[in-house]
Amino acid sequence: MKDWLIILLRSISLFFLTLAVIRIIGKRQPSRMNPFNFANYMVIAVIAALISVNVINLVFGLIALAVWVITPIALDYLAVKSKWVHDLINGKPTILIKDGKVMEENLIQVRYTGEELLRELRSKNAFNLADVEFAIMETTGDISVLMKSAKKPVTPYDLGRKVSPQPEPETVILDGNILNEPLANLGLNQDWLKVQLENMGVSPDNVFIGQVDGSGNLYIDLFDDALQVPIPKVKELIYANLEKCQADLIAFALDTKDPQMKEIYVNDANKIGKVKGKLEPYLLR
Amino acid sequence: MTVGSKVKQTLASLKGIKSTLEVYALQTQDDETSGIYRDSLNIINEVMDDLEKRVQTLEFEEPQYRGL
Repeated sequence: MKDWLIILLRSISLFFLTLAVIRIIGKRQPSRMNPFNFANYMVIAVIAALISVNVINLVFGLIALAVWVITPIALDYLAVKSKWVHDLINGKPTILIKDGKVMEENLIQVRYTGEELLRELRSKNAFNLADVEFAIMETTGDISVLMKSAKKPVTPYDLGRKVSPQPEPETVILDGNILNEPLANLGLNQDWLKVQLENMGVSPDNVFIGQVDGSGNLYIDLFDDALQVPIPKVKELIYANLEKCQADLIAFALDTKDPQMKEIYVNDANKIGKVKGKLEPYLLR
Repeated sequence: MTVGSKVKQTLASLKGIKSTLEVYALQTQDDETSGIYRDSLNIINEVMDDLEKRVQTLEFEEPQYRGL
């Protein structure tokens, strides 16, 4: 066989072999890899390249490739089973800042200068060292930062507010096509969707993206951006109506001369007030 | 507007709220949320019962304003 043909065939088969091998090794992103994973991938790549251009013998090359593929898979498997092996392969995270104080010895251990530490902290939005409670270098080399509790972003929990759980929205229309599976996940069907679109005065093939949120509201983006689509405000409307009913009941209580009836009205107004308070997180947030 | 028709109006808007809340209670996937919708529906039902009784009394007192 001619040389060029051999190289062609080898390259094509190695291309798919390498593709399969990388898929088997796993889904790790380059940025999430530790240095050893990276070296491992490099070795696989180099061996594959050398075999494909016929620098090394096919059999020897494949043996080397097999070792560099099977060993990391085996080690990964062992690492899942045993913490000791895991620490051996991946190393342990290094604490860089503890209780707001920089651990200089650890910094030297990971060969980080103060400048680099500050740079990494800035990239995590911690411009002021005084705001950092704790920082740790993960085994991938990333730095994770815990801000002092006073400097953390405010959450509804901090404000003592109750918020309703928001399940993930499902995309039900993409490129004008109605997707049945996400609709079924929400317990809805095409008829429901068509009614909703009709209410908005939009035809399904004019919709680029349509999403349904956890409470069943449909949000759509149209191909034709000149069209104005009503944004669902049903919940706000219910809340406003509840407020109106409460006010009405209080007015009735003031109007009536019958003391017994007055009491019932006041009672009812309070009940509606309670419902309002209960539903507020779900209707307004 | 007579008192009777005002009460009827409030009753109607409560009915509207109730039906929309019922839809939400059915649509939501979360048990806790749907429980809260249901609790609210029960309370609204109680209020609606009171108002309905009141409408009956008012219609009895002022039969000329009976009906819608």
